[in-house]
Amino acid sequence: MSGSIVSVNSLSVAYRSGGRDVPVVHEVSLEVAQGRTLALVGESGSGKSTVAATLLGHLRYGSRITGGSVVVDGQDVFALPARELRRLRGSTVALVGQNAGHALTPSMRIGRQIAEAGGSVPVVDLLEQVRLPRPAELARRYPHELSGGQQQRVAIAMAVAARPKVLVLDEPTTGLDVVTQRGVLDLIAALRDELGLAAVLVSHDLGVVAHMADEVTVLRSGRVVEAAPTRTLFTAPQDPYTRRLLASVPRLDDAGLAVVGETGEREVRPKVPVPDDSPVAVSAVDVTVDYGSARAVHGVSFDVRRGEVLALVGESGSGKSTLAWTLAGLRTPSGGTMTHQPGHTDPGDLARPAGRRPLSLRRRVQLVFQNADTSLNPRRSVGDAIRRPLRFFGTADSRPQAAERARGLITDVRLDPDLADRLPAQLSGGQRQRIGIARALAGEPDVLIADEITTALDVSVQADVLRLLDDLRRERQLACLFISHDLAVVRGIADRVVVLRNGVVVEEGPTDAVFASPGHPYTRQLMAAALEPDPDAHPFVEGDTGDLDWEDAAEPDDQWTEHGDGHRVRRWRTADALVTEGVS
Amino acid sequence: MTALTLAPVAGRAWRTLRTSRTAVIGLAIVAVHVLIALLAPVLTSYDPIANDSSEALLGPSWSHWEGTDQYGRDVLARVLYGGRYALGVSVTATLLTVALGTVVGCAAALRGGWFDDVLGRVLDAILSVPSVLALLVIVTALGTGPSVIVLAIAVVYVPQVVRVVRGAALAVVPADYVTAARARGEGTWAILRREILPNITDVVCVEFAMRASWVVLLISSLSFLGFGADPPTPDWGLMVAENRTAITVVPMASLAPIIALATLVVGLNLAADGLSKAWGVDRIREGN
Repeated sequence: MSGSIVSVNSLSVAYRSGGRDVPVVHEVSLEVAQGRTLALVGESGSGKSTVAATLLGHLRYGSRITGGSVVVDGQDVFALPARELRRLRGSTVALVGQNAGHALTPSMRIGRQIAEAGGSVPVVDLLEQVRLPRPAELARRYPHELSGGQQQRVAIAMAVAARPKVLVLDEPTTGLDVVTQRGVLDLIAALRDELGLAAVLVSHDLGVVAHMADEVTVLRSGRVVEAAPTRTLFTAPQDPYTRRLLASVPRLDDAGLAVVGETGEREVRPKVPVPDDSPVAVSAVDVTVDYGSARAVHGVSFDVRRGEVLALVGESGSGKSTLAWTLAGLRTPSGGTMTHQPGHTDPGDLARPAGRRPLSLRRRVQLVFQNADTSLNPRRSVGDAIRRPLRFFGTADSRPQAAERARGLITDVRLDPDLADRLPAQLSGGQRQRIGIARALAGEPDVLIADEITTALDVSVQADVLRLLDDLRRERQLACLFISHDLAVVRGIADRVVVLRNGVVVEEGPTDAVFASPGHPYTRQLMAAALEPDPDAHPFVEGDTGDLDWEDAAEPDDQWTEHGDGHRVRRWRTADALVTEGVS
Repeated sequence: MTALTLAPVAGRAWRTLRTSRTAVIGLAIVAVHVLIALLAPVLTSYDPIANDSSEALLGPSWSHWEGTDQYGRDVLARVLYGGRYALGVSVTATLLTVALGTVVGCAAALRGGWFDDVLGRVLDAILSVPSVLALLVIVTALGTGPSVIVLAIAVVYVPQVVRVVRGAALAVVPADYVTAARARGEGTWAILRREILPNITDVVCVEFAMRASWVVLLISSLSFLGFGADPPTPDWGLMVAENRTAITVVPMASLAPIIALATLVVGLNLAADGLSKAWGVDRIREGN
């Protein structure tokens, strides 16, 4: 079969709002040949998901096609009657969505759900094909009994059940941890080759795209900015927007934060070393946190000095967010001590919940949230969100003074103070996150806890917010606890790193030392799984990586292998016994 | 400051309200009822209480549009004045019920833990008593009178409002801005007023309109049974009870208050229905 299996010809989509058409996709054209993978790349609101959904003949409610056509396997999708369209979905084009947990029916066994997807391939064979262990047993389970990665594999099994010709992958690994993401991506690549599928991959993650795609189409505000084979695009991007986008992606080998110019030139800003005499702002010793009978954090110790960024790294469930919330006083630790300014004449006890801490201590430890969309009250103006803590903590005495200080803080986070009268819904994601930071700064804290604050942001916005955070900690001598699962981001901003796994610290040390010679197999596994925005990237860590079987060998009085300069690794040894096969 | 932030919110609420014809019609009917009740002395020259035995049981005529009852009182005048009692007591009772229910419901959602558990079981116990029975017990024990009725209705309906509001508030409580307020160490009342209440005003408004229609009916039923308004107060439920024996002679004397009651309840129901749809759709459209 020659030619394209998917061809989109100057497609335009608009939705009606307030009585007029708002274009979301503007004359987008693309072609995908049999067995090839095309990636649609863009930031949120670029229309990439809208374009991908049109391959299945789906438009969001209120949207309509204003021009162009979508042809899949020789059929004009939007000219098909409803019956034919239903046949097309599943048997010719199949979708793997972002959140498999939402795509599976919670009250139906996995096997029945897959069988429902149609096709003549036995369910057990399908489960085997997506590399799930013990397929016969797994088919009898319910979705909630599987991990996120397994759920996504089941969703993929359903998509390929009817042996489609085209696979539409809408952010297939966005909610997953790095190691799991790597596994799912490898599976998709293998299936694509095995079944000879054409794939359209929607992603905002340039690392994923570089790893998976043959061709890339970059979208911005519903228009095609650049379309090129993957290698060409990543080595010699033509459009300034593409260049800026690529340059904004943090790399594992950046020794500092990247500053990206208007045309996409990239300069890495070196980190400013923390002065040796800088006082310790927060000290945690042997902290344990329990959820009922389950232990989320298991004897974690660390110090953060003023002006220093300490990164807590780990996958979901590693206890890093629990630790942050405990420090912010939203959870009570079940053991260990947490002290604010331990060397000071008047140390503050952070083991107590926020309500029991004195006001002066409460205002000095502040939390910035992951999701800027839900961290601001939608019914209150942005200025109000900042004025409240100003008045509450007594950092401003009167209303006019609070209003003035609020405008000052908005300026401090590099925003226009006139935004104070806006509602959160009228701001962009990046602006909202800055307001979230401004609100945390209102108490004049000396400890700032940043819980995955850039995870929900686009790369270019992420770069700006990271730079802002870096500036602020220097200007205000903030001790910053930076929680992230993204190693490249951590590399750029953190002075020291603590790697957590299942609530236990497996490795810690100065960022450069840990990245230069990761000592623990888990750290190496994390680094190996990270995807660089470069199709020719070599694995970041050499030698044996994720596949090594290991077990913990820490003894109560001999837990660490010291590597000097504060870099230490929890003791481990190669596992002798063969561990039963398991896929996350 | 509060007025500044409220103005656009109120404006937006009004705009989305206008998109729902149901809500507009419902609110219009209710508004007409309120106007009539307020302007009753202007609209009729008859005294709704004064007896006139020479004019008893007359059919509709030019001087008495809807005839007179067995005591010679003008039916139209009594219907017009009757709205005052129905609306006055209902609105007071509903306001009290919804206010109490909202505060308790939000507090339960916010505090959670044993407070929520104990409250839930207590409410279950109250809810298991049929509402008219509970009302009758309270009225029999404390005597009649508007303030007792208001209190009785609050006891009967607060648990239901608590349930609804608690459910709505539970959706807001896990939001990060509430967590942020908790991390600041703000008190329950401040979080409730500043962070939660503004985000469930739509639920509370709809609950108010819906609850009001039930309260109107309940109060009229009480009056009909003889436990509500004392004669000779002009009240719709009471009028139906007084005139039902003479329904074959002067049907309008029973029908007029029934029509008045029915239109008010229909108006309130339409308003509640329209409000919930208009604001519900609004929430979806904005994606929150």
